[in-house]
Amino acid sequence: MSRHTFRLPDIGEGIAEAEIVAWHVAVGDVVAEDSPLADVMTDKATVEMESPVAGRVVEVAGEVGDRIAIGSPLVVIETGDGDGEGDREGEGAARILRQAQDERVLEHRAPAVTPEPSVTPNPGPVRAEPIELRAPTPHQSPPAQVTRVLASPAVRARAMDLGIDLARVRPGEDGRVRHGDLDRFIAYNAGGGFAPAGGRRADETVRVIGLRRRIAENMAASKRHIPHFSYVEEIDVTALEAMRGELNAAHATRGRLTLLPFLITAICRVVPDFPMINARYDDEAGVVTRHGAVHLGLATQTPGGLMVPVIRDAQSRNLWQLAQDITRLADAARGGTIAAADMTGSTLTVTSLGPLGGVATTPVINRPEVAIIGPNRIIERPMFVPDGLGGERLAKRKLMNLSISCDHRVVDGWDAASFVQAVRRLIETPSLLLVG
Amino acid sequence: MTGADAAPGRRMTMIEAINDALDVMLARDPMVVVLGEDVGYFGGVFRATAGLQAKHGRTRVFDTPISECGIIGVAVGMGAYGLRPVPEIQFADYIYPGLDQLVSEAARLRYRSAGEFTAPMTVRSPFGGGIFGGQTHSQSPEALFTHVAGIKTVVPSTPHDAKGLLIAAIEDNDPVIFFEPKRLYNGPFNGHYDEPAVPWSRHPDSHVPEGHYRIDLGTARVVRAGEAVTVLAYGTMVHVAREVAERQGIDAEVIDLRTLVPLDIAAIERSVRKTGRCMVVHEATRTGGFGAELAALVQERCFYALEAPVERVTGFDTPYPHSLEWAYFPGPVRIGEAFDRLIAA
Amino acid sequence: MTAGNLPGLRLHVPEPRFRPGDAVDYSTLVIPPAGAQPRPDEVCAASETHPLCLDLVRVLGDDDRAHGPWNPALDVATLLRMLRLMALTRAFDARMVRAQRQGKTSFYMKSTGEEATSVATAMALAEDDMVFPSYRQQGVFLTRGYPLVDMINQILSNRADKLKGRQLPIMYSARECAIFSISGNLATQYPQAVGWAMASAIRGDTRIATAFIGEGSSAEGDFHSALTFAAVYNAPVVFHVVNNQWAISSFSGFAGAERTTFAARAIGYGIAGLRIDGNDPLAVYAAVRWAADRARANAGPTLIEHFTYRAEGHSTSDDPGQYRSAAERAEWPLGDPVDRLMRHLMALGEWDAERQAAMDAAVDGEVRAAMRAAEANGVLGHGLHHPFRTLFEDVFETLPWHLAEQNAQALHERQVKWPDWSDDADLGDAP
Repeated sequence: MSRHTFRLPDIGEGIAEAEIVAWHVAVGDVVAEDSPLADVMTDKATVEMESPVAGRVVEVAGEVGDRIAIGSPLVVIETGDGDGEGDREGEGAARILRQAQDERVLEHRAPAVTPEPSVTPNPGPVRAEPIELRAPTPHQSPPAQVTRVLASPAVRARAMDLGIDLARVRPGEDGRVRHGDLDRFIAYNAGGGFAPAGGRRADETVRVIGLRRRIAENMAASKRHIPHFSYVEEIDVTALEAMRGELNAAHATRGRLTLLPFLITAICRVVPDFPMINARYDDEAGVVTRHGAVHLGLATQTPGGLMVPVIRDAQSRNLWQLAQDITRLADAARGGTIAAADMTGSTLTVTSLGPLGGVATTPVINRPEVAIIGPNRIIERPMFVPDGLGGERLAKRKLMNLSISCDHRVVDGWDAASFVQAVRRLIETPSLLLVG
Repeated sequence: MTGADAAPGRRMTMIEAINDALDVMLARDPMVVVLGEDVGYFGGVFRATAGLQAKHGRTRVFDTPISECGIIGVAVGMGAYGLRPVPEIQFADYIYPGLDQLVSEAARLRYRSAGEFTAPMTVRSPFGGGIFGGQTHSQSPEALFTHVAGIKTVVPSTPHDAKGLLIAAIEDNDPVIFFEPKRLYNGPFNGHYDEPAVPWSRHPDSHVPEGHYRIDLGTARVVRAGEAVTVLAYGTMVHVAREVAERQGIDAEVIDLRTLVPLDIAAIERSVRKTGRCMVVHEATRTGGFGAELAALVQERCFYALEAPVERVTGFDTPYPHSLEWAYFPGPVRIGEAFDRLIAA
Repeated sequence: MTAGNLPGLRLHVPEPRFRPGDAVDYSTLVIPPAGAQPRPDEVCAASETHPLCLDLVRVLGDDDRAHGPWNPALDVATLLRMLRLMALTRAFDARMVRAQRQGKTSFYMKSTGEEATSVATAMALAEDDMVFPSYRQQGVFLTRGYPLVDMINQILSNRADKLKGRQLPIMYSARECAIFSISGNLATQYPQAVGWAMASAIRGDTRIATAFIGEGSSAEGDFHSALTFAAVYNAPVVFHVVNNQWAISSFSGFAGAERTTFAARAIGYGIAGLRIDGNDPLAVYAAVRWAADRARANAGPTLIEHFTYRAEGHSTSDDPGQYRSAAERAEWPLGDPVDRLMRHLMALGEWDAERQAAMDAAVDGEVRAAMRAAEANGVLGHGLHHPFRTLFEDVFETLPWHLAEQNAQALHERQVKWPDWSDDADLGDAP
């Protein structure tokens, strides 16, 4: 059983209401599909309304002589289950009309924007009819109107870009602000701080969910459990950069080498002598596992936040393979297509901020690993270098700081420093890196 | 001109170029037919169809009864059959009896039949004044058509463009109104009616390539590059505005819109963003004219590039006069003063 | 105001003979006997037909038999097909008015009493002759086999409406049936039909065109332009003026019927003309076949006036009881076309009341089934409509920038209200 509300259709091309001139049914009557319900009169014609469904009349809209609006309910009919022939026919129409009513429900469901209750302190009776609700415009009270500024749209656009309030610019004699007036204002006020740093913005609440929550939990656990220490050393990468440039020029088709593959190669070369660095510490079991392979984590910034894809067996990859791995994994992480297997099992992590690398970083260890390495920005600086004659001269050199954070429970300061020095030696004499 | 100068061709008047376009299309597509009052044996009152009936036959190029409603109406039916009719309405001033067939039928046939039927017709019609035609032989009713959904409106300003645009219009599968400025039929009119007329043969844009070529509808042309002011014009006013800019030494960029619907909005925005100043010019009456549409578009899309109000230079809101034709016409003084206001602003 | 002693001028405003409540007397209407009208050769001079413009071609007599030279001598199977198509048209009309009264669509127009003018015309034409209908030729669509469901989908403006909900109900378009898109602007189809016929002649085709108009719209300029063009180019076109006496509330006098017949317009244009009993399906068939053969023989156009009666209101928005006498329908001296053909078949011994009742039930069932199938695609105003983008399609062959921008705006406006809405959501699931 369901109820079908027969709303008075617009039977006369744009009429607004109609008068009920006769009822053919009363509450309680059983009606068949197509049987007459009521005669209604518009200013164009008197027409007989017919029932689109079979069933029992449970409500009628009013008395003879009442005027009712187009679209308002005329008759409500309780429809049957459809056991007879006529009922089955009625069923098809009823189904569609039910669907139609569903559509109306769709139309009537809560709009996307609901007004603040305070906007209508006395809302009065609840309206059954749908109304299109508009969000109240949260306007600030208009600034106390001083003088209206006269300026062309182009001058306004420029002032807007510069953050200059045109009301503060002295106009020409005719009262208009022109580009020249704006130029003079800027010249006069240069360094004078003519504009505030910025406008006040509304507070924002951002829920920490998904990847961001995982990062938050991991970082907190790392800092809570691991006594970090950091060590920073300066490395002269002039020779490495020169060699990198030559390799890229000579092997353009193999893909471009960044500094990272060289650093990873150097780390992998040195790790066998410093097994405490490439390790995982299960602090509940009290076991450190010093790994024979380097599964190198790459801290990567993605739109969702920090992710750490893993280059498996980095020690067995050459420079170009590493470069390809880095590109592939970073793209997959940023594109959200990375496989779960590429995200687990790292034994040592490198974090690089590239051009944002700064002078030094104190990275947070990717638990349960015990060390994390962060190359910093390369800068050019004058340095004293041997002049070959036993003296020294000033030379322009490319320098990069290398930062490392270690788990002081299982890595000593001595080990970390020695490890970094070993890496430095390899990088400063890069030909050694190419020797298999 | 995209290399058109280099192509083989010859110098033509706009009339000859239109005749050539029709000739090319009649020969190229057996579905093209040309019909209209006096277009057959006689070749049209402006000679635009001269020789075409003799060459292509009486069932391809023929005279019609004096009934614009009938001319457009049968063209709709011909289009439904599969022909590409090119009806001529002898003067744009006479197009109104055919308006219902254009506005209610041709323009909406594709839409109302969801693509079952189309009206691929090109209605050619001489328009505009400056020829002492009085109020029934001088009107520019383009805005009546740009206001209608489903019609394209084209106004050429040179022989070269007239041919390329007309061919593109005939090949277009939608109805196109092709308004031919009468004052430009035989020479590029610079607005100085009191100076000797200049024939097309001395104008570079009278070089018309041989055979088939198209100028795509919806592409404007920068007629004169400049940095100080953008002028949006079409038809006769392209030449008048350019001449004023030359004589007043104004670094104006004159854009010939060529097609009003679809409009080359990108060309307009590019230029106005560069110059920051814009003038729209048309010969038609002012109120509700296409210039109002252009001015609205410029302020909507280039507002913060504007250094000055958009200037609208048009004919007056009167019927087109006979003896006072040059008082009505938006000539060098009206345009020149608008330039001055734009530059001073 | 007056000059000397000349009589003052008087304006004549036509007035119909009967208004609501009036008794009806049609005795002044000249109804010649069936079979009395001569039938000229199809390729005769147009002037030979001109006496027929003031006459009335009739075949079915009061004895329910076919008479005279216009008898098309159709076989029984064809007659039965004609009867069934007219009954189907009537059943379709009845069901569609119900649909409107039940709020499933906005508007409908019946053709009750005029079924012969469309069904018999369509049967007399070749299948691929191009028809330019006005709005009351549903019988042509049914005769040409245009699916009932497609017609109803259009009437309901639902998601399966081929015309994408763009047209008022009944303004169908059926290119595959060689029927032109119907316009709401009156008489525009007349010159279009001439243009189509001219094109067919230009291309050396064999198909002709035919156009319908009401007597009221024959006052439009398009009608006269069309007849001029058809006469000038001897276009292969057959014109129908369905004179059903009423143009909404204006009687035929407001289109000139007090002065002459509508068929007589042909005399002035010098084309062939026939005035026929539009409630006599055999006369309609014979006249249309004659005119079609004439056009196909390059002998020129014909104007046929179908003299008939609009038995119902102009449309579902109209109530004829407010302006004409209710007795007109019952008293109409030329009867009802379905009834007359039925009785003819009975007189031939080929039909009886039982078979008629069975046929009526069958066509009603056919329409009901089509209605149910169409309703599954939605009814007007109830959500299941075409995607918003279709609002902008087909304005031009390709979407220009300004319509693309407006399309984006339309979608945006919807999403302001319903953020999760997508443009295909309202198509619903396929039934």
